[in-house]
Amino acid sequence: MFKGKQNSTESSALNNDFVQVKNSWLVKLIPPSAKKRWSRWIGRRLPPQAKVTLSHKGIFILPTAFGIAWIALIILLYLFGTNYQNNLVIGLSLLLASVFHTCIIYSYKNLAGLTFNAVKPADAYAGKLHTFPVMLTGHTKQKHHDTTHQQICMQFAGQRHVRLAQTEEQSIATVQYHNPRRGLLTPGRIKVWSNFPLGLFKAWSYVDLNLHQVVFAKPIESDIQLVSENYSEQNEISHGKVRPGVDEYTGLRSYVTGESLKQVAWKQWAQDKGMLTKEFNEPEGTPVWLSLAQTSGVDLEEKLSKLSWQVNYLTNKKQIFGLILTDKVISQNTGDAHRIECQKAIALFKPQFSMTQDSNRQQQSEQNQGANDAR
Amino acid sequence: MQDNFDSIISRNTLFWLLVTNVAVLTPQFEHATAWTLAICAICFVWRVGIYFGKVAAPPKLLVTLLAIGAAITLGLVSSQIGLLNALINLLLLGYALKYIEMRQIRDVKAVVLVGYFIIALTLLDQQTIINTLHLTLVVVINTCVLISIYQDKRKPMANALFSFKLILHSIPLAILLFVVFPRLGPLWLVPSMKTAKTGLSNELSFGDITNLTRSAELAFRVGFENPDGSTTGPANTDLYWRTLVMENYDGTTWRQDDSIINLQRQAFFQNIQRKMPTTTDETAKVYQYTVISEPSHQKWLYGLDEAFSQDKGIVELPDYRIFSIRPVDQRQSYRVSSFPNSIMDAHLSDEIRQINTRLPAETNPQTWQLAQQFKRNYPEPKARVSAMMNHFAEQQYFYTLTPQILGEQQIDDFLFNTQAGFCAHYASALVFLARASGLPARMVTGYQGGEYNPKAGYYSVYQYMAHAWTEVWIEGEGWQRFDPTAMIAPERILDGFDATFDSQTSYLQDSPFSTLRLKQYPWLNELRNQIASLDYYWSVWVLGFDEEHKQQLLQKLLGEVNTTKIAIMMLVSIIVILLFIAYFAGLLQFRPKQDPINRKYHSILQRFSQKGLPNNQQLPPVSYLQLVEQHAQSSQPGLVKLFTQFTTLYVMLKYQPLTSQERVDNLKKYNRLYQKLTLKLFTIKQISDSNSHSFL
Repeated sequence: MFKGKQNSTESSALNNDFVQVKNSWLVKLIPPSAKKRWSRWIGRRLPPQAKVTLSHKGIFILPTAFGIAWIALIILLYLFGTNYQNNLVIGLSLLLASVFHTCIIYSYKNLAGLTFNAVKPADAYAGKLHTFPVMLTGHTKQKHHDTTHQQICMQFAGQRHVRLAQTEEQSIATVQYHNPRRGLLTPGRIKVWSNFPLGLFKAWSYVDLNLHQVVFAKPIESDIQLVSENYSEQNEISHGKVRPGVDEYTGLRSYVTGESLKQVAWKQWAQDKGMLTKEFNEPEGTPVWLSLAQTSGVDLEEKLSKLSWQVNYLTNKKQIFGLILTDKVISQNTGDAHRIECQKAIALFKPQFSMTQDSNRQQQSEQNQGANDAR
Repeated sequence: MQDNFDSIISRNTLFWLLVTNVAVLTPQFEHATAWTLAICAICFVWRVGIYFGKVAAPPKLLVTLLAIGAAITLGLVSSQIGLLNALINLLLLGYALKYIEMRQIRDVKAVVLVGYFIIALTLLDQQTIINTLHLTLVVVINTCVLISIYQDKRKPMANALFSFKLILHSIPLAILLFVVFPRLGPLWLVPSMKTAKTGLSNELSFGDITNLTRSAELAFRVGFENPDGSTTGPANTDLYWRTLVMENYDGTTWRQDDSIINLQRQAFFQNIQRKMPTTTDETAKVYQYTVISEPSHQKWLYGLDEAFSQDKGIVELPDYRIFSIRPVDQRQSYRVSSFPNSIMDAHLSDEIRQINTRLPAETNPQTWQLAQQFKRNYPEPKARVSAMMNHFAEQQYFYTLTPQILGEQQIDDFLFNTQAGFCAHYASALVFLARASGLPARMVTGYQGGEYNPKAGYYSVYQYMAHAWTEVWIEGEGWQRFDPTAMIAPERILDGFDATFDSQTSYLQDSPFSTLRLKQYPWLNELRNQIASLDYYWSVWVLGFDEEHKQQLLQKLLGEVNTTKIAIMMLVSIIVILLFIAYFAGLLQFRPKQDPINRKYHSILQRFSQKGLPNNQQLPPVSYLQLVEQHAQSSQPGLVKLFTQFTTLYVMLKYQPLTSQERVDNLKKYNRLYQKLTLKLFTIKQISDSNSHSFL
């Protein structure tokens, strides 16, 4: 993660549960310019794709600290064997050296042929752990029936990793992104690595599945602050809530004995699809709007958070509502599609005032900038 | 960026740690002191307790205290058991204590690395083929621990198989490296094992060699490399393996001279070399041979007359012996060239002459008188020594392994009173006589003879062949070998030691199970020779593999050796090895293979069509099953039943979502059915559908 200093202190003050992942001192030594160049090179070499299969093009292998200790043992044994003029000890040291070499091939093999697909993730809310499910498919064309891959770890830059002890032919890994911020989240490349078979080598690669996710504002429970005034004249429907009725066709469900035969979908029945009932809803109640201007709160983020909670709440209650942000109006409706539309609008809301007024907002944009850099 | 991976040791790993602990520690049994063994055992039992969940991990303080206590105790006893042994024990204790104290994967890795080092320590004194195979197995087990960390398999056997595979794949490259890797001389002095020394001693009192003569242990083996390719050495009468030269006699004991002892001490720091005789003379004989010494824990080496060795870690002392700068704690092989015809010390310096004519004052007066008599009668030195030798033959002297205890005037008592003794008695007496008559003379100990193994072409020299003889310096001829024992029992020298004592066999009474006793049975003796040959080749080509063997081997493989050829050979070998590993790791595929499930199904269909059924491979499996039923239900109900099961499994494997376990199980069943069907179809001649037609 490439973040400004000022922001990181601020964020830790704001979010106590945020997991600050420490980089090792070795990583810190690398100058940022080199990191950027490396990142750009990787981006060219492993461009974002919906489906990525690991091959020699993108697998890097370097010894781990334990691997270096192993080499030290090899040298020690060689000196030991030389001083005692013992060929068998020298032989043992050379055998260990050869095992070291064999492990390179096996660590390569453990990653090679592994295919990654993104799976549609669940809703993401700011400040909460968000997981991107990724489908891993083993090497199917393998001659050996062992298509498993061992100890695959996956992580986004600067985030915690997830470890799959053993992949079956198909496994789902949930790659974690801690504490995302409101707005469009592009987590960037997933680093995939494994220390199999002996922990002597770390074989790793970067998988860019072109992931992005709109992170909804963090819901904060609040009173329902509905505005009943007509915001716009062209809205003819001004109902507040829906109940089962006859006016609006909403869909099909299976027939329950005793229901009116009038509502049976005979067309579907004729097509051999079984007895289905057409469902109709009837809107009722007063027209409602959620309005940013009318929402109470200390700052913009809090207001948006409250709006986010209300959108979910109202959708659960099957309430019809519209959403008025300063620059955007979403007409009244209900249902999950409407909820997501509203949440997206809230998530991507940018205040029109000067940036300096809202430090959180600035932070947000910088974070996304950072994520973009990482790509 | 840690998950709990590093802090939780899996049960599989714990299991392998238990196995590894036993496997690594048991071969060190001999070196461990009693209480090291006790602590190791307690740690092991504790670990077993942890494994079964009976006890908790020990508190860190206890482990630390134990470790400190053990280190201090070892420091105190290190002078008794020797530095290297103390270090080994320290390592074993550290291993055992770290073993119960493991909490993290990091600790496990440390234990594994130390495990490899302990295996290397074991290899120091266990070097036979069997030992090597055993310890390779221990390496596999030790590697298993690491694999069990990273390979998530529920069965420990899966880890073991993979570990075995990994080591097996690594062996070809290890062998290549073993051949080409440079061998250096020892870089610095290292502590050596303090073990009971075997073989000759650098002090010789007359009672000492009796014990040696009774031991049937192997002392060393020698392979001669003659220019004509034969492997025979000089005649048995010339096989005098010089080992020690003793010049000081105090009336009871023979010892090496201080000047030589000093030289031996400085051997590591000064590269002492003698001048190799120039072999311009065509008649000058040269013997080239390799000696493979069994561990004697001494530094002296064996060689024939005027021995030279260019090997690293070997010096050539001025008394014409070769000497190792390190004790021979393990089987050691070295090359020697011998020049039997060259003169040892053409000119004798005053100092050496003085040392070699010195005798303890006022001892053995009778012998003195005898010497003066010889001096008067034979003024010519060579004739005088011959006369002395003849004296032993003419007088009534007997050879015995159980001589009487000699009085204070040892030589007098022996020469004029008991008149019975073994080689040391006779050699001492001759040296005394020669010195008393004014001739420089000295005592040489070593081995005499050797048993030739015609299979592998080498000589075995056993401890019972230990011998003592005399060297007398004669003007113009240098040091000349005289063996007075030969005058007493000449058969011993002419036919080898075994012939002399065949009836007596007392010399083997200490080793009733010696394979030497098998000599009576020809085929058993053959077997003994075969096993001995294998061991010999192992010693020469593996334990004794050095730069010279490397040159020989490369020459055999490549013809003329040059760097380009070696580079090409290396490159080709490495590529072959890489392909080999990659293939077995499953990275290479030579041709895209058909899915085995499909292949088997279609091969069965093929067989059906051979037996007279319509060849319709495109039919859905269930329809084809119906077809088979139609044709064969009446004639081959068993076959139809098998094929029904087979088809069901085929459909299941191809089209139904299965868990991996189900898949494996079904695949097994499927393969078994395939074999049965193949067999059944093989036995059936023709599926007669005429029958079924008649029923329709």
